[in-house]
Amino acid sequence: MAFGRWFKEIGFRHVIGVIAVIYSVFPILFIISAAFDPRTGLTLSNDLFSQFSLENFTSLFNDTMFWRWFANTLEIGIFSALGTVLMGAAAAYAFSRYRFSGRKQGLLVLMVVQMFPQLLAFVAVFLLLMTLGDVVPALGLNSKMALICVYWGGALGANTFLMYGTFNSIPLELDEAAKLDGASHSQIYWTIILPLVTPILAVVGLLAFIGAFNDFVLANTVLSGRANWTLAIGMNQWVGGNERSWEWFAPGALIAAVPILLVFLFLQRYIVAGLTGGSVKG
Amino acid sequence: MRRGISILTAAGLAMTLAACGGGSSDDSTSGAAEETTASETGASGSLTIWVDDNREVAVTDAAKAYEDATGTTVDVVVKDFANIRADFSAQVPTGEGPDITVGAHDWLGGFVKDGLVAPIEFGDALADFNTVSTDAFTYDGQVYGLPYAIENVAVIRNTALADSTPATFDEMLAKGKAAGTKYPFLIQVGDEGDAYTMYAFQTSFGAPVFVQNDDGSYSSELGLGGENGNNFAQWLQDQATAGVLDTNITYDVAVDAFSKGESPYIVGGPWMISAFTDAGIDVAVDPIPSAGGETASPFVGVQGFYVNANSQNQLTATDFLVNYLGTEDSQVALYEAGDRVPALNAAADAVSDDPIVAGFAAAAENAVPMPSIPEMDSVWSFWGVTEANIINGTATDAPAAWTEMVSNIQAELDK
Amino acid sequence: MTDVSPRTDERVKQKEPRKVFSQATNWGPGFLTKLILMAAVNALGLYVLVNAYTAGSWVVFGGMALILVAVDYVYFSKKTLALKYLTPGLVFLLVFQIFVILYTGYVALTNYGAGHMVNKSQAIDAILMQNTRRVEGTAQYPLAVVRNGSDLGFAIIENDEVFVGTADQPLEAVDGATIDGTRIAEVPGWEILSMGEVTENQTDVLALRVPISDDYEADGAIGTQTGTTGFVFRSVLTYDDSSDALTNEETGTVYTANGSTGQFESADGETLNPGWRVFVGLDNFKDAFGDGRYAGPFVKVLVWTFAFAFLSVATTFLLGMVLAMTMNDERMRGRKFYRTIMLMPYAFPAFMTAFLFAGLLNTKYGFFNEVLFGGAAIPWLQDPWLAKLSVLFVNLWMGFPYMFLICTGALQSIPSDMNEAARIDGANGFKVWRYITMPQLMIQVTPLLISSFAFNFNNFNLIYMLTNGGPRFEDSSVPVGSTDILISMVYQISGLSGEASRNFGLASAMSIIIFIIVGAVSAYSFKRSRSMEGAQ
Repeated sequence: MAFGRWFKEIGFRHVIGVIAVIYSVFPILFIISAAFDPRTGLTLSNDLFSQFSLENFTSLFNDTMFWRWFANTLEIGIFSALGTVLMGAAAAYAFSRYRFSGRKQGLLVLMVVQMFPQLLAFVAVFLLLMTLGDVVPALGLNSKMALICVYWGGALGANTFLMYGTFNSIPLELDEAAKLDGASHSQIYWTIILPLVTPILAVVGLLAFIGAFNDFVLANTVLSGRANWTLAIGMNQWVGGNERSWEWFAPGALIAAVPILLVFLFLQRYIVAGLTGGSVKG
Repeated sequence: MRRGISILTAAGLAMTLAACGGGSSDDSTSGAAEETTASETGASGSLTIWVDDNREVAVTDAAKAYEDATGTTVDVVVKDFANIRADFSAQVPTGEGPDITVGAHDWLGGFVKDGLVAPIEFGDALADFNTVSTDAFTYDGQVYGLPYAIENVAVIRNTALADSTPATFDEMLAKGKAAGTKYPFLIQVGDEGDAYTMYAFQTSFGAPVFVQNDDGSYSSELGLGGENGNNFAQWLQDQATAGVLDTNITYDVAVDAFSKGESPYIVGGPWMISAFTDAGIDVAVDPIPSAGGETASPFVGVQGFYVNANSQNQLTATDFLVNYLGTEDSQVALYEAGDRVPALNAAADAVSDDPIVAGFAAAAENAVPMPSIPEMDSVWSFWGVTEANIINGTATDAPAAWTEMVSNIQAELDK
Repeated sequence: MTDVSPRTDERVKQKEPRKVFSQATNWGPGFLTKLILMAAVNALGLYVLVNAYTAGSWVVFGGMALILVAVDYVYFSKKTLALKYLTPGLVFLLVFQIFVILYTGYVALTNYGAGHMVNKSQAIDAILMQNTRRVEGTAQYPLAVVRNGSDLGFAIIENDEVFVGTADQPLEAVDGATIDGTRIAEVPGWEILSMGEVTENQTDVLALRVPISDDYEADGAIGTQTGTTGFVFRSVLTYDDSSDALTNEETGTVYTANGSTGQFESADGETLNPGWRVFVGLDNFKDAFGDGRYAGPFVKVLVWTFAFAFLSVATTFLLGMVLAMTMNDERMRGRKFYRTIMLMPYAFPAFMTAFLFAGLLNTKYGFFNEVLFGGAAIPWLQDPWLAKLSVLFVNLWMGFPYMFLICTGALQSIPSDMNEAARIDGANGFKVWRYITMPQLMIQVTPLLISSFAFNFNNFNLIYMLTNGGPRFEDSSVPVGSTDILISMVYQISGLSGEASRNFGLASAMSIIIFIIVGAVSAYSFKRSRSMEGAQ
């Protein structure tokens, strides 16, 4: 392949890619630099990587509950993502495959409900969990399970739409053929449709995971005890007040970014594999 | 094929259930250990205390002593200090919330107005505390909390760069310039201003935020306007033009620069000290010099503990505060956790050989308590932003901007 | 959503032997799985019902019963096919989302806020507590809590002599009591309570008042707050249940309860704090629109809110889409690397991003001015227009990976043979994009763009952490600024930021108004969008 043609078809993609990579990482370089810089304070002096030491990491691991929060965050993120994918996909399937009264309005309601500004949610969520907690302690305040349930409450919102479009792109003929072969509706759903939409399931799972990972407002309302905190709550405390702990925050933020990148790498195979190997072509 | 389906179905849904099951069993144990609701505690004898990260160790020690002495279990729940006020306000009316919370004295007016905190009768023990600290926790003649530490800003001096802090601002600035460092003097401003840190300079022009009554309590009459206030506004503008005041100097920039030895003087509180000593700077603490001729009085903030007015455990809570957290040992331990001057006189004496503490205490002699009246909530944002606008040049006519601010605050108070 | 017929029915109706296909009559592993799961769900439900019953929590009991009946109906009826798929999500939606909205609507109709945080009985308790004062100049006494049968009483030491009394029996000296230092060791006829026992009875102990003499009015009564020290207390105010009024015993002033303002008021208009929560109807909504001080900034803020939300979606989507399409060529090497790096902004905790950029954009010391612009003092966050630009720029950095992800996901699901067919027909790259890729993509992502619009419309965190709404309007008497969007304006003027007195009622009313605005705009664009056509 001549360079000119290569560049026109492939090469320019690398140029854009490199620019995007620079754009994405340059602010992060500051954090990396600060993470290895033993001087206190997030240095604003722009002399990146002038120091190198693991002191901050040692202090982070020894003096804080970082790993505990890290584990909590993973636990909440994973369960939140699993539930969101299962419930969102099921709902999207129903909206895509069945015709029932109130269907269009239902879609609209789902769309609109998630637009409620959550700023005041802390009062209502607090009250709700307090009431539930008197009955089922596991669903009360300061329970990770309760927080996961709150996240599941939002499972239908935007995710249903994301998946709904994908479900619609799968030809009905597949369902019909399977049905003639004697498959029940649940068999069609679990064994024929879902495998075809794995990419979008992966995307939704990742988005839900990231959403739970980054959430501060709801997590802060629900999880009062420090042992149950997520990274977002715990690390916010290090820089929120007057006494700032950038020396913990910077390495903590670096490590916190790793699981999301790993999940992405892991799911990328599904996202990228797409439908190319699926039976949709047949 | 069929088997595959059911296994998939089962696996998928079982995972969901496992999430419930796994989560709940885990939480019922950890939850029970951490969180104790008010309804449960009545009979079992336990207290819940909210503290922030800094004070955790000291309070835990006192809690341990109380547990050993009385058998009452004490749960120390660590919260983000920034959330404590809002969470306490939201939770206490629902019957939840802690029995005791750590807090700042300027929350008091709002707490009393909302009926959230219970008065404490100290009796003769009240005299054992620094008067400023107990005055700060007094509202309408009743004391509503146990003070444990006072904090105020002062001039922190790099002893390698300057041997003393002169009594007037201009002299200090001249001395700072003579030191030949990047900055003659540092004070944090930021885009939204910092009326708290700047307050000592404002009072040196004779413009207190609210007029004080004879007994030292605040009236709701604004004192920051008039000619004195305008003079202060003009001073802000002059210093900004001279490059001394700068909204780009945020907390981080100021602390970072001082840690690098780029200035002999910085205005700041005890919370900055560890950053400087860690950086190997030898510091001394001096009173703030006067800029306008009168005494420069910084705000003093008092940290303390409040008792929940709806707590089922008020008696144990009060007992714990008065008889355990109010002791010299506890107050010294709290001092060690936060470097603030203890409110209990005996504890303050015990740590007075620390020159840093002595320095802040000396600077506090001129200090005035930050007003705790509910009206104060309406003041902060107008005040800081106006200072920032004068300093960054957005407001070109400083006295006019100041007058405008005073009328805006007055309108907010009249609402 | 009750009537359900599979979409395929119309076409295959004539040859539908329902019996054979019906899951319910087929005792295969699938049905068994369902039975087991439903058994588990019912067991959980029953557990909740029993607990709710014992805890007397009737709201939870009723709600759970309804949910359980509905779930069982849905999964064991043959007519509810669509609901079988919708129910799990709907249950969580109802409990954890709809409730929040309804509760906010309820709060909007009350005066919940500073001075009105508690309910009426709590307010009365608090007022009485605040006005129970130690009588000035009286002594304090070492004290022990004592018990005789069911009678609680106090024993105190005065002048080395022990006195005992109860609520009905004024203090009297007792003979034969022993004192150990400052503690009472033994009182004949009375049992001294240990600290643990005092703790168990603390509500009674706190409430106990032992008169000093028969003349209660003149001398006051002993009370304790710790169980170890007694003081002479006197209640300044007394509450009378029948007239629902508080009386000041010293001045004789009577404060009657005013149910419409939620406060005790005297005849000449003096009020007592705290007040309590009452319904105020639509007052909060009237305030939100009627207060002149909000009207001026409101229009500016509204315009900027729309501009910000729209531009945020447009910029992030365009960048995300371009990158997704660029990376969507299988011949390209290292795509995994590029994609992973591009996700980094999304992987970083969002609150850290704002802190970081606030530093990078500092006029004098920030990386942008010092390094990229060679020391120019560009006021990125201080100039009204530059601040707006900066907010959009930071949001682009934070938001484009999301668009990149969903576009990648959506592009994968567009059958590649369509593109190939178009290319064989001679369409060039742009035409393929314009007429094949783009329409397919838009069908899938339009609803997400709308919800992204709604998200940015309420993107409180970014504004609050990066600029806090600043720079402030100079001509406004409320603390609102150039980059404030509606939700952050609500946060400021309703006092949630702690810079004005808190007013949850007003904040809730404004939240509802915002919800109506953004909901209406979204619903309208949603209905007009092509995605609805796909939903036919």
